[in-house]
Amino acid sequence: MLKVTGLRKTYRSGAREVEALRDLTFTVENGELVCLVGPSGCGKTTLLRCIAGLLDPSGGTISLDGQPVQGPPPGLAMVFQEYGRSLFPWMTVRDNVELPLKQKKLPAARRASLVSSALSAVGLEGTESAYPWQLSGGMQQRVAIARAVAYEPSTLLMDEPFAAVDAQTRADLEDLVRALWQRLNVTVLFITHDIDEAVYLGQRVIMLSSSPTVVQDEITVDLPASRDQLHTRADARFTELRTHVYEQIQAAKRGAQSTVDS
Amino acid sequence: MKRVAYVLGLPVVLFAAWFLLSSGSESFYAPPLRTILASFADTWTLDRLRADVLPSLLRLAAGYAVAGVLGVAIGITIGLNRRVRATVEPVLEFFRALPPPVLVPIIMLFAGIGDSMKIIVIALGCVWPILLNTVEGVRAVDSIQIDTARAYGISGPSRIRQVILPAASPQIAAGLRQALSIAIILMVISEMFASSNGLGFTIVQFQRSFAIPEMWSGIILLGLLGFTLSLLFRLAEGRALRWYHGLREAQRRS
Repeated sequence: MLKVTGLRKTYRSGAREVEALRDLTFTVENGELVCLVGPSGCGKTTLLRCIAGLLDPSGGTISLDGQPVQGPPPGLAMVFQEYGRSLFPWMTVRDNVELPLKQKKLPAARRASLVSSALSAVGLEGTESAYPWQLSGGMQQRVAIARAVAYEPSTLLMDEPFAAVDAQTRADLEDLVRALWQRLNVTVLFITHDIDEAVYLGQRVIMLSSSPTVVQDEITVDLPASRDQLHTRADARFTELRTHVYEQIQAAKRGAQSTVDS
Repeated sequence: MKRVAYVLGLPVVLFAAWFLLSSGSESFYAPPLRTILASFADTWTLDRLRADVLPSLLRLAAGYAVAGVLGVAIGITIGLNRRVRATVEPVLEFFRALPPPVLVPIIMLFAGIGDSMKIIVIALGCVWPILLNTVEGVRAVDSIQIDTARAYGISGPSRIRQVILPAASPQIAAGLRQALSIAIILMVISEMFASSNGLGFTIVQFQRSFAIPEMWSGIILLGLLGFTLSLLFRLAEGRALRWYHGLREAQRRS
């Protein structure tokens, strides 16, 4: 279980202080798929970096499976938006997926089986000895997902992972994330600025306000568990939910506007 | 085939021009190329290669290797640590600005005139481009790559070996390439000061004893040596950085 309580982050540059996160409290239960959505520039990435233990918060606590997060937690894997910069170009696909497992000191046979099952789970069999830059953007992001899956995390953080791929690839990758989540029984926290994506993917959607960020609203997505791009997106309930999220995000933006005006 | 013609074209033309223009030369100091080439075969026998060229090459290799190891190791330390960098960078700039040959007399005082002096001169002279390029390369490692390594628990020596070094390797290779030509220059210079063998020593000996065609043949040999070494370097670099050239190619296409 991921528990974020009263999280605060202010950046200091010289005498100026910028408040990025004001007060964030939410929980993600084990095995849940939760989407975080917010207006652009709302500190989503700051939040994710705090959860991943890459950034020290200014206040509040984060705990993962009961353990306070003080550095990168061992049971957590992350998929970055910038797949091209997050995969190591000097390593083949196999080596990229295998490197974190070597760090975990797993025996070679176990590593090999994890790598091949992760690559086949994301539909990339046969690309083991290619370099990432020889693959398309969507395939590179699949490699990054395979690396996260092979790591066998209890929690998977995804930071706008599909923001840089084309729409069709994106739809495929969304379905891939849902399929992997259902199969592997991991907790997924998925950050996006795309409202449709958040409603399509999540069991719950947490809406963030503009910076300085607080939780604006939260909804449970009561769509059936088996979703597909065609029917789910045409569902009346889907439209209702996305309208609600959209209104909340607009309200969040207006809220920011009025604080600026006043 | 066409590439070979491009590579060899101009050298062949220059050599032919030298051969033809110098063929009627009466000058004692600039003998015809024909004479120089004839003396080349007589001068650079296997015995001489073993006695003079081999020691030079061994000292070059030793000095270059010491510079490589020190430059990369210190460069990584400085590049990873902002405080160390702020402290040592001005001093580094000063030492880099010193022309390395000027160190030869000083190093002779401490290290004598043996092999170790020459190795130290070569190492001290060519460590700077390696060191400074490594610092730059390490500083420029993509923050997302560092974050990825951290998020997956890749830390300490393993992060340096698996992430920082490879990420900085194109820049380190650029430093090594610059250092190679400096190393060859210093190899010759260190042998001109005080030596009993080596290529630089032999060429100066020929000049002092007015063996002019032999002196010229030594210079040609030195040129060939430098050319061969840089060719070998490029081959090795192309192999080690194949991923980098492929990545650049892929980025250009997209």
